[in-house]
Amino acid sequence: MRKRTLKRSLTGFWWFTLAFLYLPLAVVALFSFNASNSAARFTGFSWRWYERLLGNEEILSAFANSMVLAIVSSVIALVVGCLIGYGMYRHRHRKLGWLIVLIYLPIVLPDIVFGISEMAFFVQVHRLTGFLQPGLGTMIIAHVTFQIPFVALIVYSRFVGLDPTLFEAAKDLYATPTKRVIHFMLPTIKPALISAFFLSFTLSVDDFVISFFTAGPESATLPIYIWGAIKKGVSPEINAIATLMIAAVAIVAVISLIFSRRRQA
Amino acid sequence: MTINKSALALSIGAALLAGSAQAQENKLYLFNWTEYMDPEIIEAFEAKHDVEVVQNYFNSLPEMLSKLQAGGVSQYDIIVPSNYYVPRLIKTGLVQPLDKSKIPNFDNLMDQFKDPIFDPGAEYTAAYQWGTTGLVYNSETFPNAPKSWSLLFDPEVNPEHPFALMGDGQVNLGGACAYLGHGYDCTDPEGWKEAARLLIETKNRETFSGFSDGTPQLQQLARGVTHAGLTYNGDYLYFKEEDPETFASLQFMIPDEGAEMWVDSMMITAEAPNPDLAHQFIDFILDAEVGAQLSNFNYYASPNAAAEPYLDEVLTQPPVQPSEADMERLRFTPSLEGESLQVFQQLWSEVQSR
Amino acid sequence: MSYAGVIPSARSRAMVRESRHLLLTVAPGAIWIIIFLVLPSAYLMGVAFMTNGPYGLPEMPLSLGSFERLAGFGFLGWSPGNLYTLLRSLWQTLVSTGLVVLVAYPIAYYISTCREKWRPIMLLLVVVPSWTNQVIRTFGWMNLLAPGTPLSSLAEGLGLIAPNMGLYPSNFAVTLGLVYNFLPFMVLPLYAAFEKLDTAQVEAAQDLYASPVRAFWHAVFPQTLPGLLAGVVLVAIPAFGMYVIPELLGGGKGMMLGNLVASQFSGGANWPLGAAGAILMLIATFIGLYAMRRIGKRLGGGEEVVI
Repeated sequence: MRKRTLKRSLTGFWWFTLAFLYLPLAVVALFSFNASNSAARFTGFSWRWYERLLGNEEILSAFANSMVLAIVSSVIALVVGCLIGYGMYRHRHRKLGWLIVLIYLPIVLPDIVFGISEMAFFVQVHRLTGFLQPGLGTMIIAHVTFQIPFVALIVYSRFVGLDPTLFEAAKDLYATPTKRVIHFMLPTIKPALISAFFLSFTLSVDDFVISFFTAGPESATLPIYIWGAIKKGVSPEINAIATLMIAAVAIVAVISLIFSRRRQA
Repeated sequence: MTINKSALALSIGAALLAGSAQAQENKLYLFNWTEYMDPEIIEAFEAKHDVEVVQNYFNSLPEMLSKLQAGGVSQYDIIVPSNYYVPRLIKTGLVQPLDKSKIPNFDNLMDQFKDPIFDPGAEYTAAYQWGTTGLVYNSETFPNAPKSWSLLFDPEVNPEHPFALMGDGQVNLGGACAYLGHGYDCTDPEGWKEAARLLIETKNRETFSGFSDGTPQLQQLARGVTHAGLTYNGDYLYFKEEDPETFASLQFMIPDEGAEMWVDSMMITAEAPNPDLAHQFIDFILDAEVGAQLSNFNYYASPNAAAEPYLDEVLTQPPVQPSEADMERLRFTPSLEGESLQVFQQLWSEVQSR
Repeated sequence: MSYAGVIPSARSRAMVRESRHLLLTVAPGAIWIIIFLVLPSAYLMGVAFMTNGPYGLPEMPLSLGSFERLAGFGFLGWSPGNLYTLLRSLWQTLVSTGLVVLVAYPIAYYISTCREKWRPIMLLLVVVPSWTNQVIRTFGWMNLLAPGTPLSSLAEGLGLIAPNMGLYPSNFAVTLGLVYNFLPFMVLPLYAAFEKLDTAQVEAAQDLYASPVRAFWHAVFPQTLPGLLAGVVLVAIPAFGMYVIPELLGGGKGMMLGNLVASQFSGGANWPLGAAGAILMLIATFIGLYAMRRIGKRLGGGEEVVI
């Protein structure tokens, strides 16, 4: 009897929490269709804020920057992080404490310290050498830096989960290390690679602070554009862009759900 | 094969290091206030010189300065700072002198802008627009608003409606100084301390809604989030024109205790990627008709004498051209350096954190 | 002689090969992190020990001036502003982490009691909002809590806030934003802990202790502790250094340490002071991590604490 009330109140709490989680996003979506420029009253349905977005070159280029940044940085981080992950596994019996510390550093460093160190450093290097001018290049460098550890840890834990005798078998089966990598290693860790790439991509899209401090004049990403728009006070247009981003995330979520369902079945 | 691969890797690395967005010959990088440029002027300039103008925006002068310090000095060609940041930019070597021989239209400027006190001889600056920073309030909420800073600083005048102050601390401190009778442009430490104390009291009032910059404050007022705040005369008119219904109840006012008058000027950064094009752009803006077009779009007073015949009527009357009585009470925000700048920074950071 | 020499040299050749392998796999990433994170951080720490120039940029000679400023000493004598900011950061971190635990604990438990096929979907539902950018999430709360919105009117009707004011901007809005932002980071590790829960032990405890509260305290809670600690690390550290949320929802009253640091750079005010603030933040972070490890170890769950 008491168990049932507990279960019931937990169910209630679950729905309440879901409402808490989705209410702000729903409000953004709702007001993106508001006919008037009011954050408090919904006065009627209209597409006008979306119409304003179309043909806004700044938003389109911000979107392109976000995509280039996320994809390029994730690819680089995947290669570099994958190597570390494997190295950590293969040499796990050695004392690699310094490496562990190094890999956890980007994870535990507060965003703001991360972003500001990079900015101050890039400025100084650029002043001395002419390299590392703030722009998409510096943003990619910064993003790769915080993506590497996540890729390395995912790949490492995949290797740890494997049966060690598999490696021996692969050694007998394939003569050269290159063949071993192509025919055994990569196919085995494919799920880890996919989820590592996915996580890197998400981290990149989710980042604002580090991008903000390493960006240049032509490399504003969507979050930076939205930040600027909030600071400028133009609300309804932000609702529209944000709604598009929320919709994109929702689509990705549904796809990943179907994907995992299929794998289970 | 391996050579190809390493060459590829090297070139990717080099591209990353050098920054893919290297400035090109035919691009002009303009770093300007938000909502401060007629897109048609940009299009006309692009067509005339067959170039591309890349615009970036800032909402406040501290923001602009920090972007310059963070590498912008070699990435933007033209910046448009206000008078009180001009000496600072010159002394830190972030800007370069103008070559007047490349700006024949410089003569179009009114005499007082050819020799401003913040840049004697106008060696570095070419005036862009000038205007005032005043109070803006909802006249339905405050039907009998006094022509005074007390609307913001006196809890008895505004006991229960949300209001905002400026993001740039110098304007707030000046306003508090004016309200306390030290004058808007006071710089003596005692006056400042008293003003800072008033600001701390004010920001801790229940109805204080935050520090935000001049342009967004108008949006907040329009949306009913705040009922009083600070903004620029031209932005007020610009948005009023865009949305007359909402702005019918919003009023702009220059308080009798004195307020800010400012001049925004075009300057060329010290390591501008394209200084020649930058000079051409300045010359283009100083053209009589373009100068008038700019002011007609912005609703700010033009420093361009030659532009006068082309100006809209609204630009010749208040609030664009303040009344003579108001004009006498307007002051420049003092340009700070050395110890006084540091004292100000400390006071302002104290206000923000308490 | 020749015989004796062969074996060690073969072994040492193998060791060289192994070391080269280690170098080839680990070096690119390690060098990347060293050049692009360790060096920048070291440079920033160096900046903290430089003198603040007349226009806010670091200059020689070295000095401890920025630390004195951080402690509140300046031209005007001692002032408590920075102390307020530090205390506010600690308070917000404490309150929001506590609230996150209070919400996440029952949620994680509830998910673990639901049918297995629903669990991935439920977890996904919790996580999906955090895939949108934090600027957007925070902007959503700005809309929701602004003056005149239903929530604000309700709070006004209940007499919780002054008339005409909204729930945003305020310190309350900052707390709410933090809780919202970090909830998924707590639910995931807690769920992992609940999933592994040894039910036999729980049932034994239910027989042993009469009251469910004591059964929970002695059988369930210790088992979820590793997940809880991992969650606290994942929530408290980023919350302490938060920049976006206080900036957008605090309205000038909610300044936290992250904002103090950022404003020294983004306001062109005082780089050495900002760098000194960053060092303070790092120290607090590492103390926090160390404390969590110690607590975890003492309570027996040390092995499983993530960091």
